[in-house]
Amino acid sequence: MTEQLIVHLVDDVTPGGVMRVLDHILTAPDLRRGARHILRRVDRVRVVSRRIEADMIVSHLSVNWRGLPHLIALRAMHPDVPLLHVEHSYTQAFTALNVPHKGRFHTLLRVAYALFDRVVAVSRAQGDWLAQRGLVDPDALRVIPSCVALERFRALPAPASRRVIGAIGRLHRQKGFDTLIEAFRALPDPDLELHLHGDGPDRDLLRDLAGGDRRIRFRGHGGDPAAIMAEVDVVAMPSRWEAYGLVALEARAACRPLIVAPVDGLRDHIAAGATPVRGGGVAAWSTALRTATAAPSTPDARAPEAEAAFADAWQQLIGELVAPSRAAAA
Amino acid sequence: MPKASIVVPAFNVAATLPATLNALLAQTFDDFEVIIVDDGSSDSTVAIAEHYLNDPRVRLVRQPNRGLAGARNSGIAAAQGDCIGFCDADDLWEPEKLAAHVAHLDQNPLVGLSFSGSALIDDAGHLTGLAQRPRLSGITSAHVFQRNPVGNGSAAVMRRAAQRALAWRPGFETERDWVFDETFRQSEDIECWLRLSLTTDWTIEGVPGLLTRYRINNAGLSAGVDRQYASWQRMVAKLRPLAPAFFATHEPAARAYQLRYLARRAISDGKGDQAVQLMRQSLRASLRPCLREPLKTGSTLAAAGMLAAFGPRPIAWASRIAAGRGPKPERNG
Repeated sequence: MTEQLIVHLVDDVTPGGVMRVLDHILTAPDLRRGARHILRRVDRVRVVSRRIEADMIVSHLSVNWRGLPHLIALRAMHPDVPLLHVEHSYTQAFTALNVPHKGRFHTLLRVAYALFDRVVAVSRAQGDWLAQRGLVDPDALRVIPSCVALERFRALPAPASRRVIGAIGRLHRQKGFDTLIEAFRALPDPDLELHLHGDGPDRDLLRDLAGGDRRIRFRGHGGDPAAIMAEVDVVAMPSRWEAYGLVALEARAACRPLIVAPVDGLRDHIAAGATPVRGGGVAAWSTALRTATAAPSTPDARAPEAEAAFADAWQQLIGELVAPSRAAAA
Repeated sequence: MPKASIVVPAFNVAATLPATLNALLAQTFDDFEVIIVDDGSSDSTVAIAEHYLNDPRVRLVRQPNRGLAGARNSGIAAAQGDCIGFCDADDLWEPEKLAAHVAHLDQNPLVGLSFSGSALIDDAGHLTGLAQRPRLSGITSAHVFQRNPVGNGSAAVMRRAAQRALAWRPGFETERDWVFDETFRQSEDIECWLRLSLTTDWTIEGVPGLLTRYRINNAGLSAGVDRQYASWQRMVAKLRPLAPAFFATHEPAARAYQLRYLARRAISDGKGDQAVQLMRQSLRASLRPCLREPLKTGSTLAAAGMLAAFGPRPIAWASRIAAGRGPKPERNG
């Protein structure tokens, strides 16, 4: 059996969720059965200048009006190569908060997605949105929740206490840490701590919000995600939008109580046991933090199927598109 | 199952309910139900409503008083239609209103809330010559916040899916979900519309025509301008965490428009000093209303000043003259 060559295109290689998922795709043993995945960084302005030799091309590119001609060129130069797009960014809540003219934006997405043989949603909630909005043809839509290697998170012992609340992610308004800081400050317990792991454009603003509260600690960009998870007892994700939320998956694998805003992909994690905080207000978050830090136990779920389900879904997709005859014979 | 449901919150509205129901039952679009929600009335509202139950399209839901938002939520919970509209029990719908909104929603799958302009009527139900003619298309969250194009509580027909996207159930609520926030006794409309715009990707769009007759109730018109402003401020404080950057950009102008609106209510109520104070606050908040609508802002300032200086008579006289084509009143919250 010959090895299939799968080329993944990416235009933004800043460390973060997308690159971690890609790294997992490139290295997960289950995904390397019969296929070789390689990563190709492309320029945002000039996507393809010549044909890419591959059995399948997977776009992890950002979709926007400026890039649309390049997506069209990509399609035109590879009429016979299966072309996929993984939508890492856009969601219903993203659209609500960032897009003034929603109709125009929906048109862009519909046009761009129509260029691909398959569009992959990274969460069930995002997939539902793409389907309900008619942005992707139902036959072309697949849902593959994002994944990373979780064994090191599963190896972490369940937290002994509920003292340290972790906020893990970019210090950007998307993550809603401003709400979290205000909600935390309303808690009187002097032993509780809020640790923010990450950096970003809102660092100064968040530091101001934290004021002189010495229980709130800015830990900076911490590096190893499993080591960060080991240091926190409860994970809070008050995101304003979130395509999937890898941190939530990691928190589940590490058996950390998880409280989330019920938006977009975070709803997938609610279905898996995370606690939703409705209403989005500071008071609601204070209550949720108080409850979560007082809760005695956490179900020991550990997201057991995540990597296998991810690999299976990708293998199935590759089989469906690249070697239909072989898949049928197998 | 009917295609559309019209929710009629009814609290002590014996005098106006028949006209409202007659107007709804005369809709040209015929696949609909009317859900009257008696919100704990102590007058003959229930008896009147029961009289209409002979019509198979009419249903009555009764509850202890929960306020307008609570009555609407109960109506939504009982509604069976895919399109759910609201008509307060002292307002009237033009016969073609429901047809226009149903067609609009059917033809525009991204629109979650369809509204229209309104003609204003007085206590006796007569047209005043004034109207709300808001912007109908290209409506962004900023428009919703600053100008509330939906205008009043009897203008909107929503898609059920859009309401579902908004619904949540507070911990203490045991019966049904909330679409409108029942902790608000005022500003519950704008809170809901702005939340729709900020938390979902449903769009808000209008259809042409003055399809609602909206009653301006002169008795107790400014039943607490202060209270109204406080509830608007609470609405802002509630929604700000959803989108701090949005509020940082648009709040000053929205506040200026809201204060100007309240100043106009104070003028109608004959309170000149209060109107002057509110206009000063409005100008301090933002000059945008001055730049965008210099005539309306200027006339409000002038009226406030005249009222404070000379008392109500010159203003009453001027507004009678202006009624034919004067500045449009609006309802921002």
